[in-house]
Amino acid sequence: MRIAGETVGPRGVTVLAVSAVVGILLGVHGWGGRHNGLPSTLGGPGPSPSAAPHGRPASSSATPGQSTQGPPTQGPTAAGSPAPSSPAPASNSPAPSPGAKLSSQSYASYAFQEWPGPVSASAKAAATGLVITVRKHGSGIMVTAGVAGQPTPAARFYPTGTKVYVIEASMGDDSGNSDYNLGDDGLAVTDSQGRILQ
Amino acid sequence: MSKSARATEEHGSRVDRAGQEASAEQGRAGEIADRVQGLAAEWAPTLARVLLGLVLAWFGYHELMTPQLWTGYVPGVAATSQVAIALVLVHGWVLLVLAVAIIAGVALRLAAAVAALFLLQIVISLTISGGLTDLTLRDVGVLGLAICLTAGTRQRVMLTR
Repeated sequence: MRIAGETVGPRGVTVLAVSAVVGILLGVHGWGGRHNGLPSTLGGPGPSPSAAPHGRPASSSATPGQSTQGPPTQGPTAAGSPAPSSPAPASNSPAPSPGAKLSSQSYASYAFQEWPGPVSASAKAAATGLVITVRKHGSGIMVTAGVAGQPTPAARFYPTGTKVYVIEASMGDDSGNSDYNLGDDGLAVTDSQGRILQ
Repeated sequence: MSKSARATEEHGSRVDRAGQEASAEQGRAGEIADRVQGLAAEWAPTLARVLLGLVLAWFGYHELMTPQLWTGYVPGVAATSQVAIALVLVHGWVLLVLAVAIIAGVALRLAAAVAALFLLQIVISLTISGGLTDLTLRDVGVLGLAICLTAGTRQRVMLTR
């Protein structure tokens, strides 16, 4: 067989056919697991990469230990959902309930502790393109997590003993202060036993 | 023979020996260089082909297995949409087939040309969205490799039958 001036024999056609079938099978597997994503997507609806405004590294935005006033907030909100332009406390909603252990998740090896500190260099790199703020608030912490250059979502309240992790499946999509692919970024907050708070 | 004449003769023979050794050394070095050049001419295109194929295979495999992690790269579509996931799957499938074609050397020039078009689209897309960064220029290098393979240089280990 000749394709674009090149001869392709039966063996070549077979190899291509086999790879095409394998690709389809992998694709079916991928489509089936498309909801097994990261715990909370930080990727907004916009397709463009996030860039920290004014050259400010988004990775340096985690500010633990600050205290704020105001009513405690509850109930995680997807970061990608519409949000006010400034951090606002969430309305009354059920307290976050513990789910599966973070250590049992497939993305556990990509989770980098953001709070309590000290924040490692890997965690800083993983948070590139994100704005994560953690403040002490009464008996717990207030967590704000969003995408640099986009409106900050509402803060969420979590009880004492929680840990905040940023998840970055691949550091290869980060360049400078920009994260080209927010689809592999996420945020996980765990209780004192390491269970993910939902 | 006088003492000084003997010394001059010995010096002369030493110089001759040194010259012969130096030219033999140069000959050996030239021979090694020729051999390396020959090996490179013979195998470098094949190595380039396999390495480009591995890059495409790696991305294709991961896009097929975990498409939800790659939707952020899809231009013009919401990262959380099903359309974005479907597009990533199609992209991953094409990359995987291209990778196999390039590694096996099946319709190599055509596969390399299609890969070059895909990489060009990626470079343009990344440049528009984020400017010229280290990430973009890394892909420019891979694009160059794909373009080189469209030339149809003599290749070893090809599945031509």
